[in-house]
Amino acid sequence: MREFPPILQAKNLTKTYGENVIFKNISLDVYKGETIVIIGPSGTGKSTLLRCLNLLTPVDSGQIFLEGEEITAPSVNQDQVRQKIGMVFQNFLLFNHLTALGNVMVGLTKVKKMPHNQAKEKALQELERVGLADRAHHYPAQLSGGQQQRVAIARALAMDPLVMLFDEPTSALDPELIGEVLGVMEQLAHEHMTMLVVTHEMGFAREVADRIIFMEKGRIVEEGTPEDLFERPQQARTREFLGRISELYGKREKG
Amino acid sequence: MKTIIRFLAFLVLISLPLSGCREAPQSRLERIKQAGVIKVGTSADYPPFEYVDESGNKVGFDIELMEEIGKRLGVKVEWVDMPFDSLIAGVQEGKIDCSISAFNYTEERDKVVDFSDPYYTAEDAFLVAETFTGTITQPEDVAQYKVGVQSGTTQDDWLTNVLKMPEQNLFRYDRADQAALDLKSGRIEVMMADAIPAKALAQKIGGLKIVYTGVLSSGPMNIVLPEGDTELAAAINDILKQLKQEGFIDQLAQKYLTE
Amino acid sequence: MVIQFFTYILQGTSVTLAVTLVALPLGLILGLAFALLYNYGGLWVSRLAAVYSLAMRGVPPVALLFVLYFLLSGRLVNLSPFWAGSISLGIISSAYQMEILRGALQAVGESQMIAARAIGMSRFQAIRYIILPQAIRLAIPPWSNEASIVLKDSSLVYALGVPEILRRAQQLSATTQQPFLAFGAAALIYFILVFLANRGLDLLAEKTKLPNAAA
Ligand SMILES: Nc1ncnc2c1ncn2[C@@H]1O[C@H](COP(=O)(O)OP(=O)(O)O)[C@@H](O)[C@H]1O
Ligand SMILES: [Mg+2]
Repeated sequence: MREFPPILQAKNLTKTYGENVIFKNISLDVYKGETIVIIGPSGTGKSTLLRCLNLLTPVDSGQIFLEGEEITAPSVNQDQVRQKIGMVFQNFLLFNHLTALGNVMVGLTKVKKMPHNQAKEKALQELERVGLADRAHHYPAQLSGGQQQRVAIARALAMDPLVMLFDEPTSALDPELIGEVLGVMEQLAHEHMTMLVVTHEMGFAREVADRIIFMEKGRIVEEGTPEDLFERPQQARTREFLGRISELYGKREKG
Repeated sequence: MKTIIRFLAFLVLISLPLSGCREAPQSRLERIKQAGVIKVGTSADYPPFEYVDESGNKVGFDIELMEEIGKRLGVKVEWVDMPFDSLIAGVQEGKIDCSISAFNYTEERDKVVDFSDPYYTAEDAFLVAETFTGTITQPEDVAQYKVGVQSGTTQDDWLTNVLKMPEQNLFRYDRADQAALDLKSGRIEVMMADAIPAKALAQKIGGLKIVYTGVLSSGPMNIVLPEGDTELAAAINDILKQLKQEGFIDQLAQKYLTE
Repeated sequence: MVIQFFTYILQGTSVTLAVTLVALPLGLILGLAFALLYNYGGLWVSRLAAVYSLAMRGVPPVALLFVLYFLLSGRLVNLSPFWAGSISLGIISSAYQMEILRGALQAVGESQMIAARAIGMSRFQAIRYIILPQAIRLAIPPWSNEASIVLKDSSLVYALGVPEILRRAQQLSATTQQPFLAFGAAALIYFILVFLANRGLDLLAEKTKLPNAAA
């Protein structure tokens, strides 16, 4: 069922900040169309891993392959690689001086050099996809957090990425706004977008993920299907973490 | 659009008077004559020697004298107005061909520029308010008062280096008229200046009187010339000699320097 | 006579404006270049830019004016007093404009750069299309202040004999012995110029202002 090679493949990635080893020899395969959820305590290196995967931060050693091509090779044009890997941040990071439409268009016109009209049409489609066509001419400051994050998703989608990376996309949102963002992500999963999602939303992980990876202290402790991890965790650390997380988030999920 | 063009034209116009340095091994005098223009620096804020009238034309003793010198050299005078302190540097660096601005000879200046023969001998004067109650019988007496002077002038030099005035009693001004106004308002007690402009200032401002006149700081006035340019110096000195003999300079003094 | 008198000083306005309109844009171009070098140029380039800023803010404008006109002009380049003066003021202003823009660039923040890089923009594109448009908006109010300062500092070119407003006022003060009238007229003209410049930039700031609350 899985196509080879994986669409995104990390081999023995090691990352340090000075003395501080963030992760060591991490390997990871992401296959086309699958949704992987990464969970783990904060400070574990999840964000750093995502930033390394789309080359925003250089790794110390190891290789990353996108569609079988090594993107960590020195000759690679990193800007072109980043176009193909979408990224959604915890704090949205919309461009404050541009409208929702402008945020989605700017990558198309400036990076892809798409003609203005064509870019606008595509941008409107992407806003439609996240349910915000009617907010096209609003500036970020005029949008709610949930709306901003959906625009950020549309901005990434507009580049037609091969993979989407999400770094705690709902952590900065008020509880009542989380649903609309998770809804959009769920819809993307159904459309078979390849996604790598760091989140604490266990409901989303359970329902949507094809695979869950539990990371701690820069290591992948355990990985498997939602059933494997939630029902039959092999590692004590995983059980402990899941116990703590359901204490923190569990009530809301039921409500 | 029209205003933009006018503005550009204006920029070009003010950028035209470029400095006079050329590679050709031509003497300065030859170049002046060939161009038909001599660039003369002056600080036109020192009546009656050099100042502007209400429409901005340069007038005064020095101005008229230099215009006549230009005429006799067969060239037009192009006036370059600069603050007094910039004039020596201007001559030294060849930005102007010479400078006439009531300059007196000083050794310090002579190190970097040359002087023409004197064209007029200036006396110094001490000016006080009419209400002044002190006594000044000899020049040294001023040391005990608050004395104002135009900064960088020979009077400044005399007060500082010859009389060795205590610094806290010496007030230096950019322009003579500022000192005169402070004299009137009582901020200073004595003002030292060239006798002739001092008289003119006293008249104009009123309430001031001259208590001493004599040759102290300055003496003769000279035109400032580029260091080592004997050719230009000779030409100008020749003309000055003629003008003295013809009584032209006396006439000018009559016109500008007496009331 | 008063009318004539005022007219003569007023004629200096075109010089004052010309000096300002050369110095201010020159300072902006240099200041922007140095601000970008400072923020994005790497350790050594950034230190060099900081030294430039410190040196140019430390040097008295008149000193630079004299060096450029009396010492360099005629040897390396040929500059008229107008250009030497305007360029000197532009260079000095560039250090202050650099500080303004540097602050504005930092205020926009590194995260906007990261977001721009994440959609595949190069550093240059990110600066050009994302960082600068925001930084310039932030910079307008302090820049307006700097514009007023340059406008007033333009009077310094009188040291080279460029007949701007203040020099003309000095001359007429000497001639007429009416310093209050002469300098009062000069002050009035400066006030009007500064007022107009600030109003203009306020309007620009108003026009480019981003909406800040949900409707
Ligand atoms: N730019 C950086 N410089 C130095 N240390 C960093 C930097 N970014 C992250 N770290 C450190 O790396 C570790 C992992 O951080 P992060 O990847 O944000 O973890 P997570 O996303 O799992 O919470 C933390 O200890 C953090 O302090
Ligand atoms: Mg994180």
